[in-house]
Amino acid sequence: MKKKKELRKTIFKELQRGNVEGEIILFQPLWVRIFHWGFALSLTGILLSGLELHKPAKFFAVSYGDMFKIHVISSWFALGFVALRCTDAILRRDQSLIPKLRDIKLFPKLLAYYLFLRSAPPPNRKYNIGQRLVYSSWLLLFLIASLLGLSSYWQGEHLIWLWRLVGGFQRLRWIKFMITIYFLATIPLHIYLSMTENLSHLQAMVSGYERKPPPEKS
Amino acid sequence: MIETGTCTGDSISFDNIWTPTFSDIFSNILDWRYDWSMNQAQGNAAYQVLLDTYSKLPNEYILLVQGSMIHSDSGHYDHVAYEQGKLITGIDLVRRIGLKAKYVVAIGSCATFGGPVSGYPNPTRSTGVQDVLPERRVINVSGCPAHPDWIMGTLLHLALYGEPELEKYGRPKMFYGETIHNRCPRRYYYDQGIFATDIGQKECLYRVGCKGPVTYADCPIRRWNDRLNWPIGCNTPCIGCTEPGYPDLMSPFTVHSPDIPLPGGTKIATDSVALGVLGFTSAAIIGHVAASLYKGRIQRNLLKSTVRGKHRLSLIKVKTFHIYRVKKNAKKE
Ligand code: HEM
Ligand code: SF4
Ligand code: SF4
Repeated sequence: MKKKKELRKTIFKELQRGNVEGEIILFQPLWVRIFHWGFALSLTGILLSGLELHKPAKFFAVSYGDMFKIHVISSWFALGFVALRCTDAILRRDQSLIPKLRDIKLFPKLLAYYLFLRSAPPPNRKYNIGQRLVYSSWLLLFLIASLLGLSSYWQGEHLIWLWRLVGGFQRLRWIKFMITIYFLATIPLHIYLSMTENLSHLQAMVSGYERKPPPEKS
Repeated sequence: MIETGTCTGDSISFDNIWTPTFSDIFSNILDWRYDWSMNQAQGNAAYQVLLDTYSKLPNEYILLVQGSMIHSDSGHYDHVAYEQGKLITGIDLVRRIGLKAKYVVAIGSCATFGGPVSGYPNPTRSTGVQDVLPERRVINVSGCPAHPDWIMGTLLHLALYGEPELEKYGRPKMFYGETIHNRCPRRYYYDQGIFATDIGQKECLYRVGCKGPVTYADCPIRRWNDRLNWPIGCNTPCIGCTEPGYPDLMSPFTVHSPDIPLPGGTKIATDSVALGVLGFTSAAIIGHVAASLYKGRIQRNLLKSTVRGKHRLSLIKVKTFHIYRVKKNAKKE
């Protein structure tokens, strides 16, 4: 046991001794990582149980009461994680998720990169404009869907203005379903790009740290 | 009762009432003044009854409206009277009589929310009564048709106790306070996840488009035709006839989500749109993977983002321990 500990220490020492080119920086703070994986998990729960509530699968004889509970409980968890992330963003004055006007000008160039018309993406800060647009739309749509969900949960007893605004229960469901489809269409895109564009970002979402490439190379 | 853009279905529904009987209502309970379908008189003689009520009993009568308010061509798609050589439109008459009524009650889905008459693409630009009488609170007794008990119950409540408690869309809470789904006798099938796969089966009809979860009415406990039966009781889904947006938002009646109207006049099913969007993104991602592999972009990105350190750690075996211990049953051997 003691031997193992010593072994680990030497490896850490090696790592710290400038073994890696460039410097190691904190890329994803702890709260961001907790939010990311917690939200990913609970959103998956929401989306799958929402789809089942939309149209019961033929091959899947599951208690509907339970499905409903999964949907609502995952929603509360997801809301909690979003609240954490927002608090964290406010405390750190973190604006990395908000799309800025000057970034939007870069959007055509980014698109050109994804369509193989440019060999490199335009310069960007922590997230590029495509990511910013997708992340902020997720946040917005998640909040809208949750509000609609809450009003259907309360069966028109609270949030009545929302019922009147959207024009009834059936349309409310329809909007939630469409939001679900948007999530289902953009999440695979997110996973695909994060696995093929820059793997070190992906590992940073687990470890938190990332190697900053030496300046002369980038 | 004024009839505007309607099929008179609510009158037909109303004369199925039991008990009180229809004749009892007319002869003993209410002073039923003017009604196209029920009047014995006709023409000017009948219309004069309405005008007399309007001028002699202001703020004492109840106006019932059946049928939607037709707006196209300034309302001239719908004429309801002939007065001093002029044709009177439904909107004008309802506004005139409605402003001096003690209560205004809209009966049936057309008068409450526009109903089938306002269905896509709504060439007559129909709406409910509340839209032409914004300064008054209209009591909505929706349904296609409205249940006779809902109509008579509301009228009796108005006569005996005044305005009933109304819910979010102006319907009396005593009839429209709960969803069909919450009181449905097949609810335990739903909770267990046991669904009918076709209309006509005895399980929960959710899969075949039941709108019970989004529809507020008391059909499960009141039932229809002298409490004999109701749609779900004969194995066909609720079509959501009491809700605003019926029938467009509720059709196709056998499918969960409404179809989406396209500009050309056709409609497309929500689920097909969803599958289309998901199919398109999957195809796009697969295409992008193939193109990136072909161009070598994935390979380059992966290499770039997983660079090795300057020199790799290598471990060497430093010491090997051998532990010896005495065999327990060594003596026996
Ligand atoms: C990102 C957030 C959410 C998404 C994407 C979502 C998605 C969905 C979907 C697709 C359905 C099926 C709708 C259909 O019938 O087609 C559904 C149903 C439902 N959801 Fe959510 N939901 C979310 C949040 C919530 C929240 C926060 C609540 C309440 C606490 C909630 C409560 C409900 C209820 C009560 C139903 C069943 C009633 C109905 O058919 O509308 N949802 N949801
Ligand atoms: S049949 Fe309709 S109203 Fe009855 S439990 Fe099923 S979905 Fe609900
Ligand atoms: S069961 Fe549904 S469709 Fe039928 S009358 Fe009642 S509310 Fe209308």
